[in-house]
Amino acid sequence: MKTDIKVFFLWRHLNKLRWLIMSLVFFMLVFLPFVHVYQTYVASFSYDLLTQSEKQLFDIMEAVTSPFVTDPASQLDAIKGNTWSGNFFGYKISDPLAVAGQMAASISVYWPFFLSGLIPIILTIIFGRFFCGWICPANFLYELNTALSLWLQKMGIRAGKRHFDRRLKYLVLALGLGVSAMTGSVLVSMIYPPAIVGREIYFSIALGGFGAGLVFFVLTLLFDLLVSRRGFCRYVCPGGALYSLLGHFRLFRIKRIVENCNDCAKCNAVCEFGLDPLRDDFGQECNNCAACIAICPTDALTFNLSIKDKENQGPGHLGKKYQQQNSQLPEDKNATT
Amino acid sequence: MQRRNFLQKLVLAASSIGVAAVPYATARLLAPAEASSLSNHLRPPGALNDENEFVKSCIGCGLCGEICPPKCIDFDKRQGGDGVNGPFINPEKKACILCMKCTEICPTDALTEVPREKVKMGIAQIDRAACYPWVDRGVCGACVAVCPLGKNAIGFKFANMYRPYVKEEGCVGCGMCVEICPHPSLPIRIVEPGEGSVTKHTI
Repeated sequence: MKTDIKVFFLWRHLNKLRWLIMSLVFFMLVFLPFVHVYQTYVASFSYDLLTQSEKQLFDIMEAVTSPFVTDPASQLDAIKGNTWSGNFFGYKISDPLAVAGQMAASISVYWPFFLSGLIPIILTIIFGRFFCGWICPANFLYELNTALSLWLQKMGIRAGKRHFDRRLKYLVLALGLGVSAMTGSVLVSMIYPPAIVGREIYFSIALGGFGAGLVFFVLTLLFDLLVSRRGFCRYVCPGGALYSLLGHFRLFRIKRIVENCNDCAKCNAVCEFGLDPLRDDFGQECNNCAACIAICPTDALTFNLSIKDKENQGPGHLGKKYQQQNSQLPEDKNATT
Repeated sequence: MQRRNFLQKLVLAASSIGVAAVPYATARLLAPAEASSLSNHLRPPGALNDENEFVKSCIGCGLCGEICPPKCIDFDKRQGGDGVNGPFINPEKKACILCMKCTEICPTDALTEVPREKVKMGIAQIDRAACYPWVDRGVCGACVAVCPLGKNAIGFKFANMYRPYVKEEGCVGCGMCVEICPHPSLPIRIVEPGEGSVTKHTI
């Protein structure tokens, strides 16, 4: 019983692309500290003084980078940093939360820094909270954590399924910016998982030791595992709150095609952010991650250009509820006539 | 009844703000308190002169450390409170070579681009009661040889006596002399400009 409404076939495979991009970003966060360590070896001309393992690292990095650069000490500076703030072929790109936090801490706008956050802000206005699902290195680990919780459930260990008020994260954001303004220090970065992950990976690889942020990040992982699925992203993360606000009128939205839907509710089960695609309730917190599109068995979800979600379209036309309703109507007519 | 409603709302707002403060409090509690003295906690070159201004501008991205060729920039590996993840240089371990790459890459210009002669990280101070040539225990001159600013910053008081002295107007406090100093107690240190007493000694 397939309907004629076809959706663009590539949308179903966007989830794979998303995992590819997330893995790539995470790989770069691990790779770049090694690049920096290699650059310091090159800059100090110290190959003969290195230990055996350091020589191995030098050789591997030389083999990897030599096709692309001739002068590693300076040319490898082209890509530096993490998702909190980075340098990409001379363009400085910063997280909008970093811009907001720095503006709050100094109570002024530093325009060069604001411009470095402009590209992410514009992309967020168009694509909504896409950073959370497509780029965020902490999201990579959090989704693996969700998979872990599913494994644990198979083994009989119950994962936490508590629900809180999703508006809490806006309060966390407001409180963070307010306290930043009072203390004059960018406090939001200390509880923002992508910033923590980025810098802790650098610390552990290049500086030889984790910082206090790792403990906080492990606590959030445990919170997700034991208290509430994806609880930190859903209820606490200040960055997610800022992106949600920026993406309130986003242009790219996921839409449910009610003619194709069969009310299986797999989309609700797979949604990492606890949204309700089955009742057309995406809202500003949807991060366009396309996991629901990938799992939909009847191709009932697609991308749509619009600045508003559809109202609740009722039960899907392939579902039992709708067919009962519609099959009863003609029978009633027959009975009356 | 209205008052009761109002009180309920008030309690709800207060408790939700309390809940929202929990992550910040947790992160702050996790941050170890760390006493820092200036002699091994220099800010990177070009840092805004006022420490408070620097902390306001720094977002703790770590780009300055990630681009530093000698890898001299270390970080306060703490998350909370004053100065989140701020960069510092410990010249006793590894000193700044004044390549000024960190000032070019800093997104917030907490490290401002300045010529290397205008950097003010501190000023070197020589303890003349410990430095080898000053106590007549040999000939050294390592600090003079290594100084990236040459004879503007450090020199010998008398010709060929190998007794180094710091020139206040030239020294920027990069700390190369601290790194190279062979004396185990490091008679040369970086202090705040104007703080040094030994540099003002004259003979």
